[in-house]
Amino acid sequence: MLTERKHTLILIILLVSLPVFALLHLNSGQIDLGIGTMIDSMFSFNNENMNEVIAREIRIPRMLTALLVGGSLSIGGLLMQTLFRNPLAGPYVLGINSGSSLFVAFTIMTGVTFFQSDLGMIINALIGAFLFGLLILFFAGMVRNQISLLLVGIMLGSFTSAFISILETMSHAEELKVYMLWSLGSLQKVEFHQLGIISLIVFLGLIGALLISKQLNLLVLGEREAKSLGLNIKRIRYLIIGITALLTGVITAFCGPIAFVGLAVPNMVRILFKTQHHIVLITASFLLGAIFVMSVDAILQLLESWMVIPINAITSIIGAPIVVIIVFRRLR
Amino acid sequence: MIEIDKLHIGYHSTILEVNRLDLKNGQLYILIGRNGSGKSTFLKSLGGEIPYLSGSARIEKKEISTISQSEIPFLLSTVRSSFNHIDYMSVYNYVAMGRSPYTNAFGKLREEDKSAIEKAITSVGIIHLKDRFTSELSDGERQLASIAKAIAQGTNVILLDEPTAYLDYLNRMNILNVLKNIAQDQNKCIVMSSHDIDIAIESNCEFLVVTKNQKIELFKELSKEGILELAFTS
Repeated sequence: MLTERKHTLILIILLVSLPVFALLHLNSGQIDLGIGTMIDSMFSFNNENMNEVIAREIRIPRMLTALLVGGSLSIGGLLMQTLFRNPLAGPYVLGINSGSSLFVAFTIMTGVTFFQSDLGMIINALIGAFLFGLLILFFAGMVRNQISLLLVGIMLGSFTSAFISILETMSHAEELKVYMLWSLGSLQKVEFHQLGIISLIVFLGLIGALLISKQLNLLVLGEREAKSLGLNIKRIRYLIIGITALLTGVITAFCGPIAFVGLAVPNMVRILFKTQHHIVLITASFLLGAIFVMSVDAILQLLESWMVIPINAITSIIGAPIVVIIVFRRLR
Repeated sequence: MIEIDKLHIGYHSTILEVNRLDLKNGQLYILIGRNGSGKSTFLKSLGGEIPYLSGSARIEKKEISTISQSEIPFLLSTVRSSFNHIDYMSVYNYVAMGRSPYTNAFGKLREEDKSAIEKAITSVGIIHLKDRFTSELSDGERQLASIAKAIAQGTNVILLDEPTAYLDYLNRMNILNVLKNIAQDQNKCIVMSSHDIDIAIESNCEFLVVTKNQKIELFKELSKEGILELAFTS
């Protein structure tokens, strides 16, 4: 079939572009390092060579973080959009990130946590994301209108930030600073040794999403029709919320809340591919999301010598108009 | 094939009673009754969506209340009056969803699935639309696509809840003719609820009437006056 060949072709183009954009990102820093240094820093690391240290400690983690952030938030957004049959859904607008924020804020500012480690942060963010996902699922059952669901998500966000601001007034300056820096969103705080666990979780989420692609295709028809074709609606809902919590929770734990990536990328993918086949949508969202965040971050890196712009500023500048465009197209 | 015996349906208390009914393959049945008389509830009960209160209803000799959720799509397919808006899904891919109970974990279509899909789209007469997006179809064409999906599902029993509700006169006639032909040519047992009494009488279908005393009875032949008398006058 013609469309299938077209899809494969665009996917191959995205797949080939990924390393190209990765290299562009690696070379967009202020010091010119060269590919040789990058490779040496990975496979024969010499901690006295300053360039290799920069490559291993800063450049490579930042590039891989951008890749993972873009890929996993985009799949999270796609899953939310399919679950709620709403192109405007996404982990950020629905307040699923807020869940992570609340739990992370609580941990940072009160010091109460299950584990004092990376894992503790991840688990907190995951629990927060999962609980807020369930909450949104509950509200979605009550509101039929697509825009109303977003309002509920925004209210959930405001509600959470109110709690967080109470926490802020009660916490010490040092903890407050840690939280404020986290909440701005940044790709630069991930350290080399943390990449393993993040990649693993993102990989699990990606595989999980691909494994439920047939059920996602059915869900596009609407829940009643999907059910009459034998889909177990309850189970797939929990699976989707679980996988989304996994994908967005781990990213939020390390990078803070990153806005609009999950909303914008899947919509671009759908316009590009004009399909509802989720194997294609998931793969393409991962690749395009990774490319999108890497290119945004590469631009930020280039600008860094004269001004430091938080990543959220750029993703919002691009993402917010996309929301508005979709709303206009829907309500026209 | 559907067999019903002393069936009581409703959510909490009985709203409809069906004494004895044998619905055969090869026949189109039109379910007629007043608004709120329980036509949809009856169809949902047959579809396993609402548990019935007492009595027996069997599809292909299986008691509906004992059929698991995952087995339902192999025994019956359903068509609704409204059609969800879906972006970027071609008629072919939409009808292909009817094959999902048969395909593997990734939904890969085998040759037999593909031929079932082509055959279903052809039998409702919209093969020329197979590459169009469902969002670009007219209401009548969409409903035909829904019916094709139900046919592709390959079940003997097809239940349709007011499939002509939003259609104009010509489309209503067309849908009824298509369903009648499919029932005969493909030996299916089709039950469709409708308010189109005139069209139904013209096309010589059998009638299931929700009578004034809240029972469903089968009539092989009915006049308009007969239907009005049975179901609508108080």
